[in-house]
Amino acid sequence: MKRSNVRVAVVYIEGTNCEDESVAYFRHLGAQAEKVHLKQLTRDAPADLRRDLDDYDILMIPGGFAAGDYVRAGTIFAARMRSKLSKDLVAFVKAGKPVFGVCNGFQVLVEAGLLPALGGVMTEEPEAVLATNDSSHYECRPSLLRMENAGSCAFTRTLKKGQIVTFISAHAEGKLLFPEDREKRILKELIDNDQVVFRFVDDRGKYAGYPWNPSGTTFNLAALCNRDGNVFGVQPHPERCFFRHLRPDWTRADQGDPVYGDGKAVFEGVLRHVERRF
Amino acid sequence: MGDRIRRRALPFSLHDITLGDASAHELAAISERMGLALSVDEMRRIQAHFHDLGRDPTEVELQSLGQAWSEHCCYKSSKVILKEFIFPVQAPYVIDRGDAGVVEFDEDHAYALRIESHNHPSAIEPYGGANTGIGGILRDVLAMGAQPIALADPLHFGPLDYPMEKLPRSTRHPKYLFGGVVAGIRDYGNRVGIPTVAGCILFDEGYLGNIVVNVACVGFGKKSQFVRNRVGSENAVFILGGGRTGRDGIHGVTYASVDLTDKAVEGWEAGAVQLGDPILKEPLIHACVESAQAGLLDGLKDLGGGGLSCVIGEMALGGGFGAEVDLEKVLQKEEGLAPWEIWVSESQERMMLAVLPENVDRVLRIFDLYDVPATVIGHVIPEKVCRVRYQGTVVLEMDLAFYTGGPEYTRPYKPPATLPSQDLRLPREPQDYRSTILKLLASPNVASKEYVIRQYDHEVRASTVLKPLQGVIGKAAHGDASVIRPRIDSWRALAISVASTPYFTAIDPYRGGATAVDEVCRNLVAVGANPHSLTNCLNFGNPEKPDRLWFFREAARGIGTTAKALGIPIPSGNVSFYNESARGPCPPTPVVLGVGIVEDLRQCVTSDFKRTGDPVVLVGSTQAELGGSEYLRLREGTAPAPTVDPLGLRASTEHLLRAIHGGTVAAAHDLSHGGLAVAASEMCLGGDIGADLKTTAMDPMRWDVQLFSESNGRWLIEVAKDRYEAFTHLMEGIPTTYLGTTGGRSLHLGRGRQWTSLAIPAMRKAWSEAIPNQVVVS
Repeated sequence: MKRSNVRVAVVYIEGTNCEDESVAYFRHLGAQAEKVHLKQLTRDAPADLRRDLDDYDILMIPGGFAAGDYVRAGTIFAARMRSKLSKDLVAFVKAGKPVFGVCNGFQVLVEAGLLPALGGVMTEEPEAVLATNDSSHYECRPSLLRMENAGSCAFTRTLKKGQIVTFISAHAEGKLLFPEDREKRILKELIDNDQVVFRFVDDRGKYAGYPWNPSGTTFNLAALCNRDGNVFGVQPHPERCFFRHLRPDWTRADQGDPVYGDGKAVFEGVLRHVERRF
Repeated sequence: MGDRIRRRALPFSLHDITLGDASAHELAAISERMGLALSVDEMRRIQAHFHDLGRDPTEVELQSLGQAWSEHCCYKSSKVILKEFIFPVQAPYVIDRGDAGVVEFDEDHAYALRIESHNHPSAIEPYGGANTGIGGILRDVLAMGAQPIALADPLHFGPLDYPMEKLPRSTRHPKYLFGGVVAGIRDYGNRVGIPTVAGCILFDEGYLGNIVVNVACVGFGKKSQFVRNRVGSENAVFILGGGRTGRDGIHGVTYASVDLTDKAVEGWEAGAVQLGDPILKEPLIHACVESAQAGLLDGLKDLGGGGLSCVIGEMALGGGFGAEVDLEKVLQKEEGLAPWEIWVSESQERMMLAVLPENVDRVLRIFDLYDVPATVIGHVIPEKVCRVRYQGTVVLEMDLAFYTGGPEYTRPYKPPATLPSQDLRLPREPQDYRSTILKLLASPNVASKEYVIRQYDHEVRASTVLKPLQGVIGKAAHGDASVIRPRIDSWRALAISVASTPYFTAIDPYRGGATAVDEVCRNLVAVGANPHSLTNCLNFGNPEKPDRLWFFREAARGIGTTAKALGIPIPSGNVSFYNESARGPCPPTPVVLGVGIVEDLRQCVTSDFKRTGDPVVLVGSTQAELGGSEYLRLREGTAPAPTVDPLGLRASTEHLLRAIHGGTVAAAHDLSHGGLAVAASEMCLGGDIGADLKTTAMDPMRWDVQLFSESNGRWLIEVAKDRYEAFTHLMEGIPTTYLGTTGGRSLHLGRGRQWTSLAIPAMRKAWSEAIPNQVVVS
């Protein structure tokens, strides 16, 4: 498939707030991207505004505070999506089409049962939760992430395993927790399935605590994919380091890509995957 | 007096007020009882007006006048002074002066800027007050048709460690207020998805009884999407979009226009504080911006102070027309609201759109997609009259010239009998400079604000090119300004910074106002931006007291005169009076937000030292101007407040910008709180690199003057060592002092035989732990 034919739906509801830049960056890389209100996909919009999920090649759920995150981050968005879009979503994922959740979008994917999805494409119950940060408040800070994926993830094949990238954390609920009694087993399964994508590290490349791990997240997990690697959720924002001049310390670096930052790799990665696969 | 208020026999609550022959005493009682906050003279003017009409006013009419003629809405005490000093400061590139100022960005784009206060509500209910402060300033920018792109918050509190038992009655503890305000800004700004990129936090006992919470916003858009705050056609209809109307926020403007006494506190608590809803605001912004971009709006204005009662009249009269409104069409939160409550409610998240009939369906469709309620509630009429009906009964009918023609006062002003001394009487020189500098780094006004900055999302919208914290990841320190890139197809960007100068203003308000402009400009220049426009929020005491008004007038004169000399326009602003409690007025607090243009963002510099071996140069000249300085706040003594030399600043700005754009500057930091010693420390902290600096060239001034003076117009510059010659050439004619070089793990400061040395970890500990130690319960 030619890049200019790749169609990206950046889906939002009230309180989603990273949709504009996400659309802009997919377009910047040559794809067709549009922001789509969830109700346009669930047939709750006027006829001429309705959209079919199946018409898209990539589904993105961007960051924000969907419906205020008032119950728990991502819960309301996930519930609305599951109640009316379950069949379409499962078909989309089964077809191998990429689903991309950033920050609040990651929270939505976990709440919806689409990640880590150990028990099926979309599990009935969430298998994990993104809980309140250890600091008990919002954390907006640059994060260093080590890419840990051996190749299963459709989004990160443009990066080398072990490579460290800078993204921007900005969340109050980023602490990935699994049921305590099953945590070890789940972690082992995630590693065995090559579902771990990014982990937080410090400035010496070590798995470290706060503030390098901004939330206290289990095993320093910052990003996961499903078993097939086409559903990907990442807590820190890659789009906020899409360009070189968004990187927090760009005035200190003389070298490197003159235009782009680390975050572009993820957008580029998924587009290349779609180009090759479909 | 009770018989002067008569209920009409209607199925809803409506009263007529018999003003007829009411005495001064009775007029005062009516104003008091109805919560109008109007003076006897103002009530007399209303009495005469209705006498001429041969009828009594309704409560809806009186309440409307109470709103429209409040200090908050009509600037009755400040307008004369603003007209003299602030309004004339203009530039040809200012496009509009409405709820926000609109200024040209490039050929096809413009930006909007505005700042305002939210002091009283935040003093009562800090979380809700700060919430709705952010909500309100976003609407001011949105009202121009612009997409909000950045927020900034200058905050002022009492000392966080103030003893509970000494706290005055009816005041909340500074720690509670600080926590609530920061959380309020965080939860609203982060949810609505607009980055909070700049601000300042100052602490002083003077803010115990009356905190100062200012909120500012910058917006952006294509020139074609900007709209006016008034109707453009007599065919337009009024669409009320956004939140429903309820009893929250009734009489906000009236309580904001009186001192914060125990009684006013009760009034606020009874419902004057509004309730914010960022998750309604977020789609409301989209709906309004999309309607503006599609060219569907004939006028747009936000509902803030006074609610519908102010917005309809101002929009209609602004276009030279009048308006008719049917109040029952307003969507309400609850049943049983009296017409006057609907009319003056300040319920949040509401915008008024003027739309031509042929565009109404398209606008309603946009709002519907975003699930934002919107309804037609009235229409424009050719005669300049406002007519409001409720279920068919006319409840208000007033000539708009009278309605919106609030009084304008030339109130007396005079300096107080005594002002703090500006004689140069310095304390004995410190024995131990190291501990003095560490104390300065740990003083709350200087110490790291990272605890707050990182709770605000300053990165959302993925356009924050320079962040509020700058330097090595994990070690960053305060920058001077943030830079936002509004278009990904251009390298042109906007720099944003704020300055607040209460300490200088308290001893010399003219210099205090002038310094706020100087400081904000050098902040912008420090990142490589050309100062382009200013907006100001003037927070002062009761203007009916001549000494308070004198402080206000002098500060306004300082701001206006300096901005004019620099050629930088002030297309918007806000005045906040009555910042008084039983303790007296809060410190006189002029706050200035500046926006600068960055021609090519790739040339921006940050405040952190970059590498070892670079020359460090002080730009500007230093005087013994320690009055109001952080140093003298730690120690006894008096000194003059800093003077401003606008022509000198203009020259050094031009040269320094050339030096920055020419790539000769590796780091730049403005000198403000704590002077040279603090600026050098912050540059070391951000870069995690030491420096060896000798100030002998500044002799014979005492060393404490050299290190801690807060003279204006100065920057500390790290010059790229291979470009040093080019730098000195570009700076020719500007006072510069070579101080030393970067390197090592400590900041060494010396002069003749005097010297001191501060290891970076010790500085970092003092600087970064001070605020968390006072607020975090562990």
